[in-house]
Amino acid sequence: MSSGYKSDDKNISLEALVANVPNGASLALGGSFLHRGPFSFVRELIRQKKTNLEIIKQSPGYDIDILCRAGAVKKVRAGIVAMEGNFGLAPSYRRAIESKAVELEEHACATLTAGLRASAYGVPFQPCGGLQGSDIPGINGWKSIEDPYNSGGSVWVIPAITPDIAIIHANEVDRHGNVRVYGTSHWDRIMSRSAKTVLVTAEKLVEDHIFTDQPEMTLIPYFMVQAYSIVQQGAWPGSCWPEYEIDYPAVEAYMQSTDPSVLDRHLTSAPENLGVAHA
Amino acid sequence: MLNSWSPFSYIVTNLARFIRPNEITFSGVNSSMPMLACLLAKRAYEWDYIYINVAGGVDPEPTMIPLSSSDPMLAVKTASIFDNEDFYDLCTRGRMDLTFLGAAQIDGEGSANNSVIGDWHSPKVRLPGGGGGAVMLPTAKRACTWRTEHSRRTLVDKLDFRTSWGGFHGVVTPIAVFQKRADRLALESWHPEVTLEEVIERTGFTFDASHAKPTDYPTASEKAALQSLDPDGQFERDAAVSIRMAAQAAP
Repeated sequence: MSSGYKSDDKNISLEALVANVPNGASLALGGSFLHRGPFSFVRELIRQKKTNLEIIKQSPGYDIDILCRAGAVKKVRAGIVAMEGNFGLAPSYRRAIESKAVELEEHACATLTAGLRASAYGVPFQPCGGLQGSDIPGINGWKSIEDPYNSGGSVWVIPAITPDIAIIHANEVDRHGNVRVYGTSHWDRIMSRSAKTVLVTAEKLVEDHIFTDQPEMTLIPYFMVQAYSIVQQGAWPGSCWPEYEIDYPAVEAYMQSTDPSVLDRHLTSAPENLGVAHA
Repeated sequence: MLNSWSPFSYIVTNLARFIRPNEITFSGVNSSMPMLACLLAKRAYEWDYIYINVAGGVDPEPTMIPLSSSDPMLAVKTASIFDNEDFYDLCTRGRMDLTFLGAAQIDGEGSANNSVIGDWHSPKVRLPGGGGGAVMLPTAKRACTWRTEHSRRTLVDKLDFRTSWGGFHGVVTPIAVFQKRADRLALESWHPEVTLEEVIERTGFTFDASHAKPTDYPTASEKAALQSLDPDGQFERDAAVSIRMAAQAAP
């Protein structure tokens, strides 16, 4: 069996893409806070009633909140969780942690990256700078080791974190599944290298030459991508630069109350549900 | 009054005053006030500095000021994308001159709790978490923070949980500016409309105030820069900072 994905059948529906996720899977979600997250994918996880998911992301917000709200999460590994802007804390996430419905592995963003790097580099753990005096290593049982080359220094080492699936929302893919994003890649690159497989939603399907003309713009080569789906406004209600900004009224409506009818209305009003989404 | 501070302008402007010429200075997620401080420093001062941010921007020229401090707007007109892994690595290898980091509780040594109120394993309130703090606070050359509430529950003798250690260089609240002096936060200056006694009364840790004086009022260019960043006062209204909270009567 090949270690890469070479196929002409990668372009599938969002429903079929999400059907690849088994209950209990660990998912690294791309983007940061309300920016270029794979949010249509996240909502489809809820529609398909996935359960016991482990969510891995340095700075989740809307995604972890809505998944906690829907009862889809068992564990989260994160560095900072908030809705940002004027919205503050993520209320359903907060309730899930305080009630112990969801287990938290608290990280600094860079320790989560270190764990992903260990996996990407094919080593069991990864040194991470800083962390002196922090209570975080203690609650996670992380170890500090002496420099084996006798510099006299020591460093915290973070065990490898290998997500089952990295889920990325991109600006563009080509038919083979090459992936391009504009602006910062957040942590998408290391997520794609550390996970066992990669699933992608993208705003646009573009011609091959867009990628071959500027290959250095490609974030993830096609052979790492198992399948993709074209979902316009797939990062809604977040931003996807330069296509669209955050839809603040939609976030506000979502935050209005935790009544189930509000969540239902939010899921119903999402672009991928309105039929505008499939190119 | 010829010159005055609003609580909002006090925090933003005094954060900006920690920025130094030509230094690498970073603003991150969930950090509207440091973002405004960084943009203010670019407009208010005669010198320049190297501004990098969590949107990947390097000396960006945003065409509007975003609500989210990680908005892609903060990478408009950037000539490079310096992404998340890049700025953390820059910091851990000792090349981050100044970073702004949030904090829910701050103690007298300038360590931060961003994690929980109460016991970590049975939290009364689960807070957002420290983001980069635990790695950046001990490795940045200087780190500064801000708190919109100055009280004994935010400026504490003992943290509920030590998310990040390393000692803030500067802390700005609506009524005071602290700066590290001999490994503890010392009072640098206080809001001219409150008294030193009130700052002491409302601070949970003990501090040296021997060098402190009332904070200098904003300069004309600092005021003009902030006005240009928040022309209709939306950020100021959203931040809703006051010198005293409802429960804190003037002494």
